[in-house]
Amino acid sequence: MPEIFINGKSVQAERDQSVLQAALANGFYIPYFCWHPKLSVAGNCRICCVQVEGRSWVEISCNMPVTEGLRVLTDSDVVKAYRKSIMQLVTLNHPVDCGICDKAGECTLQDYHYKYNGEPSMSRDPKVHATKFHPLSERIVLDNERCIVCSRCVRFTREISKSNALGITQRGDASLVRAAEDGALDADPYSDNIVDLCPVGALLSRSFLYKSRVWYLKPTPSVCPGCARGCAVHIWHRKPEWKLNALDAGQNTRIERVTPLDNPQVNGPWICNKGRDLAQIFERPRAVQAMLKGKPVELDAAIGAARRLIDGAKHPVAMVSSWGSNEELDAFKRALGGQFASYVKRDWAPQPGERLDDDFLIRADKNPNSAAARALFPRQDDGAAALDADIDLILVWGEGFDFARLPARARVIFLNAYLQPENGHADVFIPISIQTERHGHYTNFEGVVSAFEPCFARKPTVADSETLFAEIAATAVART
Amino acid sequence: MPDTKLLMTFPVTATSHTLVEYRARGGYATLAKVLTEMKAEEVAKEVMASGIQGRGGAGFPMGRKWAVVHLNDGQPHYLCANADEGEPGTFKDRWILEYAPHLLIESMLIAAYALQVRHAFVYIRGEFDQPYHRLAAAVEEAYASGRLGEGILGSEFACDLVIYRGAGSYVCGEASALLTSIEGKRGYPRNRPPRLTVRGLYQRPTVVNNVETLSNIVGIIANGGAAFKKVGTEKSPGTRLISISGHVNRPGVYEIEYGYPWAKFIFDDCGGILGGRELKGIIPGGISTKILTGPEMKPLRLCNEDLEAAGSSMGSGGMVAIADGTCMVRLLQVLLRFYHHESCGQCTPCREGMGWLHRIIDRIVAGEGRAEDIERLYQISKWNDGTTICGMGDAAGYATSGILNKFRDEFEYCIEHKRSRFNGTLECPRSS
Repeated sequence: MPEIFINGKSVQAERDQSVLQAALANGFYIPYFCWHPKLSVAGNCRICCVQVEGRSWVEISCNMPVTEGLRVLTDSDVVKAYRKSIMQLVTLNHPVDCGICDKAGECTLQDYHYKYNGEPSMSRDPKVHATKFHPLSERIVLDNERCIVCSRCVRFTREISKSNALGITQRGDASLVRAAEDGALDADPYSDNIVDLCPVGALLSRSFLYKSRVWYLKPTPSVCPGCARGCAVHIWHRKPEWKLNALDAGQNTRIERVTPLDNPQVNGPWICNKGRDLAQIFERPRAVQAMLKGKPVELDAAIGAARRLIDGAKHPVAMVSSWGSNEELDAFKRALGGQFASYVKRDWAPQPGERLDDDFLIRADKNPNSAAARALFPRQDDGAAALDADIDLILVWGEGFDFARLPARARVIFLNAYLQPENGHADVFIPISIQTERHGHYTNFEGVVSAFEPCFARKPTVADSETLFAEIAATAVART
Repeated sequence: MPDTKLLMTFPVTATSHTLVEYRARGGYATLAKVLTEMKAEEVAKEVMASGIQGRGGAGFPMGRKWAVVHLNDGQPHYLCANADEGEPGTFKDRWILEYAPHLLIESMLIAAYALQVRHAFVYIRGEFDQPYHRLAAAVEEAYASGRLGEGILGSEFACDLVIYRGAGSYVCGEASALLTSIEGKRGYPRNRPPRLTVRGLYQRPTVVNNVETLSNIVGIIANGGAAFKKVGTEKSPGTRLISISGHVNRPGVYEIEYGYPWAKFIFDDCGGILGGRELKGIIPGGISTKILTGPEMKPLRLCNEDLEAAGSSMGSGGMVAIADGTCMVRLLQVLLRFYHHESCGQCTPCREGMGWLHRIIDRIVAGEGRAEDIERLYQISKWNDGTTICGMGDAAGYATSGILNKFRDEFEYCIEHKRSRFNGTLECPRSS
């Protein structure tokens, strides 16, 4: 453990650290654009410069190995002046169109400008213009004028996603980030991470483009249900204090975007593109009305009807959702596990064209909580085999069940969150809440438990499964 | 009068570059001596004793560069000759490649022997057509006569020589960018540490030397390092190929011994300034070295000591003479257009700074200069001084601040009067 001195204070550094890493780990902030903890050192932005004591010049700290007794200054006048010059150079041809830039509010360049420069450009010459809205892929547009050529995105596709989809063409101040070949970035299922990586507003997500200013949004920690990896994510939605009353009130309950939440045990700072598109899963038309054979009823009436069906059944079977949280699965086991022959159901199968699995994040099992469900209910439904003819009641919890497999005389209790034609055919249909409306935990395929928080309020006509099972059971017990 | 010749020792004819004539001049005898009588360490020791400095521009001692490579460390080493002679004003390596390609090959083989190199490379400038064909033919001759490949000259020593043609980038003449380019990647310079002699080509210890530097090895080994050190001045051992261009009557490549009086060189050897004009300035070693005025240059000897004392350096040996009547504003515009065009765009100060410098100088030349422009040119040069990954930012800064220091009045005139002090054409009738 070499001892180094940052601004005169002694710091214990790791042997393989750079000065930048040692400084950040010990509470000294050094600005950086191109450096990233998960990417190789490019050393091209030059803003992480520090001064070694006794030298009159600056050197970059991201590529400076720590050596015993090294003394660096992160805030000397030389360093400050040089940082200022780098800010002048970086913003020389940058359009400074923060007013219409999606990154404004969380932009490194913007923050550093106020922190380390704060002065208008010294240049009186026209800015160099470059391509706006270059379509890098179906999902991402690139604004070359905003780009500061830090090469983070290029290094990401080479070192992390390994698609080698991006490169830099031209040279000098005409350098352009471009896809290696047509459609190269489309084929990268992790491409949207470069939008987060971009320290400026050059790489823009089409799905979030001009949707909202980030300061109106709030991130809620959640877990991506897209596969058994269970990546930690932030679901961004409008802050309650900025609730829209006029205009489109639907924006108040909309998922604006999804970003990774760094969990080193599971996903690190990355997620796949499917995780970015959680709105496509959660914002499908919702079922909000309890029904008996398609006839709308109050929620309580439906719960009562379900209880009566359970009481009267001789061979009841339950298809347990692999999208249920640990708490819900526990609640089901405690309340109804004794009365049902329970099978774990595969709610989601891989979609056509979806990447099945790889050696990075994506898993073949497209359900978030299969691990916890299987631990509680060892029997698994294969999704195809015919069911026993003597089954007289089936409780289907969640999506993905093929109702054609039902024995002719079986009655159906269906708990589902989304509008589906089968809802109306069930003897009892109870609408349930979705992940963005409740607390809970998922256990991923490696046994790591991750928590998710509610983003929006649950509608009163929708049941919360965690309490629903207990309600059904409590009344059932009371009658026996 | 120091006037030793070490490289230009034979009359150039239509066939003087061939193996037959090279052998007739005693070629490959030194290699045979090395392979039979010397150990690798002994070769390196002679090179260290010679005190030879790099001829590519930076002037780093070759022996010290070699000393970083550990022999018998269990990993492959590489040797690369830098023949990407891109520094404007420099065309001296071209002479070696065209007229003495076997001298380079023999020298590289001796260096490869000393550094335990199995694969050596020559990174040759893409625009060099004749030099490439001459070198390629020489390599074929060497392979055919058992001087390259397995079992060289009947010994156990084996070495292959690969010629790699560049694609015309100035930055690829920088050692690390050159290696990155050989690897097939975009020619971006690399950050140091690690040094190339620790992790270079394919992440292995690599020695990159200039063609002229390497070509001196044959002489160093044949006559001993001490004999080489006696040539030239105390701090600048050896001779130097100088390529002179610009407003002189006899431009071309000359070999001078270090310590040769500059005035004699330019007024006798090169035939004086075009049209008998006064000498306004001289760029002593490629455009990246600081310009000196005629009066400053006149008393100097051509050696590192004198030029460094005058605030410049021998650089790459690409000397440009500038006659009276040349507009220095236009000259700087030409230089900055070059640096802007050739900036690789990797690191911020150079990527943005070169374009900024170029736009400012364009504006001054167009008569739209502002009073603050000169300070701005200085400032951008300073921002590039020692702060970029490779030396190109510094080089452009030196060129800019060098010209501004010496000829500031011309810039002020141009800004104030919105036109150059000179009429834009330099009428220099060629004196015959």
